[in-house]
Amino acid sequence: MIRLEGLTVQSGPFALADVTFDVPPSGYGLVIGPTGSGKTTLLEAIAGHLRPRAGRVLLDGRDASDLPPEARGVGFVYQQYHLFPHLTVAENIAYGLRRVPAGRRERVASLAAMLGITDLLGRTVHRLSGGEQQRVAIARALAPRPRVLLLDEPFAALDPATRRSLRRELRALHEREGTTTLQVTHDFDEALRLGERVAVLAEGRIAQAGTPEEVFRHPNSAFVARFIGAGNVIPGTVRWSAAPPEGGQAGAATFDAGAFVLDVLAEEDGPAHAVLRPEDLTLSRQIPEGSARNHLRATVVQLERTGPVTFVHLDAGRPLLASLTTASVESLALAPGVPVVATCKATAVLLV
Amino acid sequence: MDKTNSARPAGHRPTRLAGRLLVAGLAAVLVAFVAGPLLRLLLAAEPASLRAALGDPEVRASIGLTVGAAGAATGLALLGGVPLAWLLARRRFPGRRVVEALLDLPVVVPHPVAGIALLLFLGRESPVGAVLARAGLEVVNHVPGIVAAMLFVSVPLLVSAAREAFTAVDPRLERVARTLGDGPATVFRRVTLPLAARPILAGAVLAWARSVSEFGAVVVLTYNPKVGSILTFDRFTTGGLAAAVPVAVLLLAVAVFVTAVARLLVRERAP
Repeated sequence: MIRLEGLTVQSGPFALADVTFDVPPSGYGLVIGPTGSGKTTLLEAIAGHLRPRAGRVLLDGRDASDLPPEARGVGFVYQQYHLFPHLTVAENIAYGLRRVPAGRRERVASLAAMLGITDLLGRTVHRLSGGEQQRVAIARALAPRPRVLLLDEPFAALDPATRRSLRRELRALHEREGTTTLQVTHDFDEALRLGERVAVLAEGRIAQAGTPEEVFRHPNSAFVARFIGAGNVIPGTVRWSAAPPEGGQAGAATFDAGAFVLDVLAEEDGPAHAVLRPEDLTLSRQIPEGSARNHLRATVVQLERTGPVTFVHLDAGRPLLASLTTASVESLALAPGVPVVATCKATAVLLV
Repeated sequence: MDKTNSARPAGHRPTRLAGRLLVAGLAAVLVAFVAGPLLRLLLAAEPASLRAALGDPEVRASIGLTVGAAGAATGLALLGGVPLAWLLARRRFPGRRVVEALLDLPVVVPHPVAGIALLLFLGRESPVGAVLARAGLEVVNHVPGIVAAMLFVSVPLLVSAAREAFTAVDPRLERVARTLGDGPATVFRRVTLPLAARPILAGAVLAWARSVSEFGAVVVLTYNPKVGSILTFDRFTTGGLAAAVPVAVLLLAVAVFVTAVARLLVRERAP
């Protein structure tokens, strides 16, 4: 468990002010914020590299505020991996196991197997790819069985395919090891995919905290709404349209939301949330021609004008939010009670 | 349209060629100026006189003294210089810039001036020299004077090499090691020092070579026993070129060997 109480830190240009947040035992928390919002500073303060001016850091219920980093039981993974260049892959992973000689080999071997880097164990770290280096860094951080795992933008420097597979492995690893994890990211999609608890950090302060859905559906400030893009989060079930695709590939599927069914591209079937950004919904009076697969019959409930953009609240058997230019709203003559067709492409539906 | 042609009009070509020739010519003249005297010195040594010099007990003792005193000076430089370099690279403390500027001075001060300063500081009439003498350590006109002079002029080389080496180690590597359970001293031993060792070693070899080549500061503090540079000078003033050349060639050989080792150490660094 991680609990931050009124944490206030000053470190060069980065400052944290009165940060209060917690990640439950064995939970997966995310802190999201734009570059320069103090995300790395936050992780370094939790790890004990920076001394807070005020506030406390509690790890597994114990006040760790005055402990040095080596006594906190924290695993740390930096965005740029920071493997020890003078050590082999196996030596890197075993670095934190110096005081536990019994079972060291087995621990290194089992982490390497889980992360698919067994073949790399004897190699030096110089010629590893980014994804391989990140796997080694994660294995190294987890080897001593830390109380908490801190991840600093762990996927930001990876290509999308590597990012997807590593994210999946990390989730499996988190379930198996049960290590309380806190990840910082600037990518809200990551929060929706991974996090149970999410905090939005803005200029060193927590702008909003809650479950990813809460934050996504009810941003409490213009900053949060702008940063994450408010929108539609719809619970439902994914079913393959044809035979399931081969491992890891996306395949054609349907998403059953109860009130309506969407054509989607999915990587897994089963219960999921569909995320639909308001700007990805187009409105028309009749079903339009074109490549878009999803046409939902809906009724306009309310119009919310914010300058050149108007948010259109719809009822499609469940609430939906679309954003249009005010000019479009006028040319369609939209008003409460008007029936419309809401259209979106299958590829615009994000499944998490 | 060929873009490379339009970007580089034909009229510029002769100018470029002339420029290249000028640069190459100037470089060649300078290389010849450095290589010429060294080659000439090697050619001047007759095998017979070299053999005689190698058999000369005074020459052998002098080379041994030079190598040993330089080794002692380098050892002392490492002992104090590595911690100092680490502090300069990793800690912000009041007076850090003053210390850095101070360490540049031995390099720019004429070496006899450094020798005189050391003589005043370590001579028997000075408080420090008196304390050392009472402890049984005679500095001036003894071997410790040679070591002191060598240390003074060579330690800046080592400290600056070591400071660069420590600066090049990413502090985040040390932070990761801390979270993996090591205290600061263990992190230094397991991460920082192994990563900085090679450039520090190269700096130590350079400092050692600087000590071997020192004349000006040593001659003020301790003329006898004679280190190699002083023996060469002594033979030159008493016996002329013929007496000085064999000794000079032997010292040149030592310098070439050391430079080669230092270059190898730096080049073998992992990519």
